[in-house]
Amino acid sequence: MGGAHAKDYDINTRPVGYYRCLDPDTAIGGSQQPFPSTQLSLFEAAGSGQPSDALERLSALYWKPVYRFIRARFRKSNEDAKDLTQGFFAAALQRDFFARFDPARASFRTYLRMAVERFAASEHASANRQKRGGDVEFEPADAQAAAADSPEQIFEREWQRQLFGLALDDLRAHCEASGKRLQFEIFEAYDLADSERPSYGDLAARHAIAETAVTNHLAWARRMLRQFVNERLRGSTAGQRELRQEMRRVWT
Amino acid sequence: MDLSDSVLDHLRHVAALPDLSGTRYEMESEIGRGGMGVVYAARDLQLDRRVALKVLDAALADEARLIARLEHPAIVPVYETGILPDGRAFYAMKLVSGVRLDHYLDGAPSLAERLRVIRRAGEALAFAHTRGVIHRDLKPQNVMVGEFGEVYVMDWGVEAVAGTPAFRAPDARLDQRSDIYALGALLRFMLPASPPPALRAIAAKAMNPDPAARYADATALLADIERFQEGQAVDAWAEPLWHRLRRFASRNAVLLWLLAAYAGVKLLLFFLRLF
Amino acid sequence: MNKIVVGLVFGLILGAIDGATAWFYPEARSLMGGILVGSSIKGMIVGLSSGWFARKVESTKWGVVVGAVLGLVFAYLVAAMQHEHYLEIMLPGFVTGAIIGFLTQAVGAKPATSSAAR
Repeated sequence: MGGAHAKDYDINTRPVGYYRCLDPDTAIGGSQQPFPSTQLSLFEAAGSGQPSDALERLSALYWKPVYRFIRARFRKSNEDAKDLTQGFFAAALQRDFFARFDPARASFRTYLRMAVERFAASEHASANRQKRGGDVEFEPADAQAAAADSPEQIFEREWQRQLFGLALDDLRAHCEASGKRLQFEIFEAYDLADSERPSYGDLAARHAIAETAVTNHLAWARRMLRQFVNERLRGSTAGQRELRQEMRRVWT
Repeated sequence: MDLSDSVLDHLRHVAALPDLSGTRYEMESEIGRGGMGVVYAARDLQLDRRVALKVLDAALADEARLIARLEHPAIVPVYETGILPDGRAFYAMKLVSGVRLDHYLDGAPSLAERLRVIRRAGEALAFAHTRGVIHRDLKPQNVMVGEFGEVYVMDWGVEAVAGTPAFRAPDARLDQRSDIYALGALLRFMLPASPPPALRAIAAKAMNPDPAARYADATALLADIERFQEGQAVDAWAEPLWHRLRRFASRNAVLLWLLAAYAGVKLLLFFLRLF
Repeated sequence: MNKIVVGLVFGLILGAIDGATAWFYPEARSLMGGILVGSSIKGMIVGLSSGWFARKVESTKWGVVVGAVLGLVFAYLVAAMQHEHYLEIMLPGFVTGAIIGFLTQAVGAKPATSSAAR
């Protein structure tokens, strides 16, 4: 993409309009195109009195992490964990679930995980009371969880996975909408490759473009991905301070 | 799409790297993380020299402007501030090659050298305070000693992240007095195993829980350190009499020896006469 | 005050004190007056010279040496006038001179045209 060089954006002389780039409370836009925010924050959705929106947004990001966490933490079978997860999301969408969250004490992610623990523990206890003679049967948790990670680490990892997955969906949609299919293909071939990555030369030959173009496309896609991830993050945090802390955690 | 662990880590890494295309810099490597951003080593292609690039991950254009305004031998000079193509603010500054204070002590420096470092850092602090800039996160990791022995204080104006409680004042507001606290903590950090009681007292005064009881400014603290080095009485410490006499004796050693010689000579002659 | 005045003052005081110690020698007690005056004058001359030297040269070591040598020389002259008590006069005179020399180096202001101090 064409665009001005960084030195044209000297902080002291930039026109006010470009300050949007820096402030995560407004849109996180690229320096070339201001990027409209389509993401309602979770908190806005909850507060708007439309529980389905909030539920949808919450699930998209947290369903898998909660499921995996329950399996690892409580040694539940696949079916039981699914039921508990569904149950949690249904129960959690009382209005005051969001209201009771205090950003000063922990991140929303941590708050939610602790709520899951309480919910699952109380369900487990009542399920035990109903069953005759004792323990819930359990299957060994799946391979990933069997690694040395704690349930909390698994939860955060899954959350990151979901976050990036959603951001990738956003990126794909954006590329389709703005005719940047080539960029996305190159990005997908290189950065999303699971095993061996093709070389820049290979990609250049495959798509009949110059190697420098490959470099540029990758840089562009990564830049956009970063913005989409931050945008999703903004949608699931309650304020600047928490956003910054979560950003720091995500970006190593 | 379900990302594998390796792809996820790869994405986190590449999307975090600042995109320097269109700038005059070429990325080399990450040096460290401090305050509100990450610092990279980069090459300035126009001037053909290595620089440090600090990329700010939040709306902190202010920090860059703040730093660029301070010119002092102990504050890292800022070459340029700007916005990267991905929208993040950055500033390019001198790449300091040296050691951070926590590693500097591994070289077992003398007390005089340790105090020299503290004094340089204190001077930078005093200077910044006169310009209305507060450091807010002074700690050994933010002070470096360069290859020529020059001292640099870095990472200014950033609110301390919760990882450095030992150097953070218990004050509610962070202002000049809390910087004084941190300077005292830095002094205490730099002191050897059995420190002179006067220096311990200076550090303790600077680290008084009551901000009003601390030194009024960095210059006062440095003046007390200087008095210690000159063998004079230190404000922070009420020394016992015998210590005061010892100090007096060491400062005026030559004169006392001469007087002793006179007395000795007189007594010698007196007793010689008896034979 | 400048170093010459310092030398005169300390020379006077220390010379007087040195002379006063003659009181411990009974045979000299009757001459105390003269001894005191002479010792004070001796001290002032040493002090004047040391002070002059201190204005030219800034060195504690050499100030002490110069003072000591001057003290020794003038003490010798005084003792020579007596033809006796050489040791009792010269030795203390030597040390007194050293002290005067030290004090002229340590105390007092150098003239403004001299090389910059610390």
